[in-house]
Amino acid sequence: MEAFDKLSGEILHLVQEFSSASVFGDLTVGLTQYSFWLLVAAVVFCLVMVLFVRRASLVPHGVFVNGVEYLIDYVTNDVAKGVIGTEWRRHFPFLLTLFFFIFINNVIGLIPGMKPGTGAIGCTAALAICSFIYFVWRGCQKHGFFGYWKSLAPAGVMFPMNVFVWVIELFSLILRPITLAIRLFCNMFAGHIVMGSFAIMASLFAEPLFEQLSALNAAMALPSIAWLAILLIIYVVEMIVAFVQAYVFTILTAVYIQIAEADEH
Amino acid sequence: MKTYRSAALAAAALATANLVAPACAFAEEEGAGGIDILVPKMAEFVPALIAFLIILAVMAKLVWPQVLSMMDERERRIAESLDEAEKTKQKAIADREASDALVTDARRQAADIVLAARKDAEVERQRIVAAAHTEAEEIIAKAHANAEEERRAIFADAAAQIADLSVSVASKIVERQLDEDGEQRRLIERYIKEAGSLNAN
Repeated sequence: MEAFDKLSGEILHLVQEFSSASVFGDLTVGLTQYSFWLLVAAVVFCLVMVLFVRRASLVPHGVFVNGVEYLIDYVTNDVAKGVIGTEWRRHFPFLLTLFFFIFINNVIGLIPGMKPGTGAIGCTAALAICSFIYFVWRGCQKHGFFGYWKSLAPAGVMFPMNVFVWVIELFSLILRPITLAIRLFCNMFAGHIVMGSFAIMASLFAEPLFEQLSALNAAMALPSIAWLAILLIIYVVEMIVAFVQAYVFTILTAVYIQIAEADEH
Repeated sequence: MKTYRSAALAAAALATANLVAPACAFAEEEGAGGIDILVPKMAEFVPALIAFLIILAVMAKLVWPQVLSMMDERERRIAESLDEAEKTKQKAIADREASDALVTDARRQAADIVLAARKDAEVERQRIVAAAHTEAEEIIAKAHANAEEERRAIFADAAAQIADLSVSVASKIVERQLDEDGEQRRLIERYIKEAGSLNAN
């Protein structure tokens, strides 16, 4: 089929479109399409929060205020209180900001024509680095600089095993921001590639029908309906993924903070 | 907020170090093929880092404290309302128990009052009946006395009339005028009295 012949080329083209391209400056100093949309999401985040603070009251009214409060409560109870425990207040601002920043970026990316700021590894790496610095800094605050690095190896392990364990734990620590960044990026990137692929398939199969109206072309365009249906399902799934990935990033950060501040590792 | 400022400074320092470093991690970003997609671009990393740190500082300073205080205030109000509701409930239960006790006491008192009233009424009835009996007996005795006195008066009057009639008849018979206030009249009256006393007996 002609549509399948064109598909591989179109998907390659799609992947290239999803690669970072500078809209201002170059790839070292400037803005890419992802960082542009990330800045847009940042502005949207500020606006949402300003609006929320103005409208928030002891008795919340309206879908907007209730929706934002639901998310805040969810992160507070499930992530901050649930994972960190009694010390949750100290980490509440960081975790909330992290969650909403990622979530709004993910949601912005779902709007057709826009891109998620979290769809580029550079952006997710920045967030992961912030998370990494935050939990290491909190660990150092709790145990002291040397105390924290020493505490990476569990107490009670005999020499020289404790050295091996310490090295393994150090690798594990370094891998944490990397896995955070790659997980979020890959999920958002792959989700948008899959959605784009099904959109391309739907248009490729329907293309002959738009060029020439015939019974054969109409029959050939029938799979487009299925591709569109799948596209819609994936779109819904991506909405869930937008929330889940923000949640996963935040809860893993909370877990790392809890580990860093724990008395015994 | 001081902690967030120092965290932001640390992150900014790291970002600056990445910028001024020989970009070893980012040097191969151009034309690295498939792996290129996993190499962070500075044009994305730096704006994202700066944007996030600014937002973190702003939110930590302006938004989250307000949200936290609102949540605390709401929690406090809810706790107070629940306490108040519990207290009101307890008070209502106590009031109800007190009112139940009052009603019970009032019913008992009412029953006592009714009982006492019945007793008093019975005493009063007996007193009234006794008084009525006494009065009736007095009336009867008085009536008997009156009747006796009346009878006596009638009898005296009748005796006087009989005496007058007898004197008149006797004077006509003996054709002799007798003195009405004389010895004959007194004899007749004594006779009638004796006859009356005999009659009374």
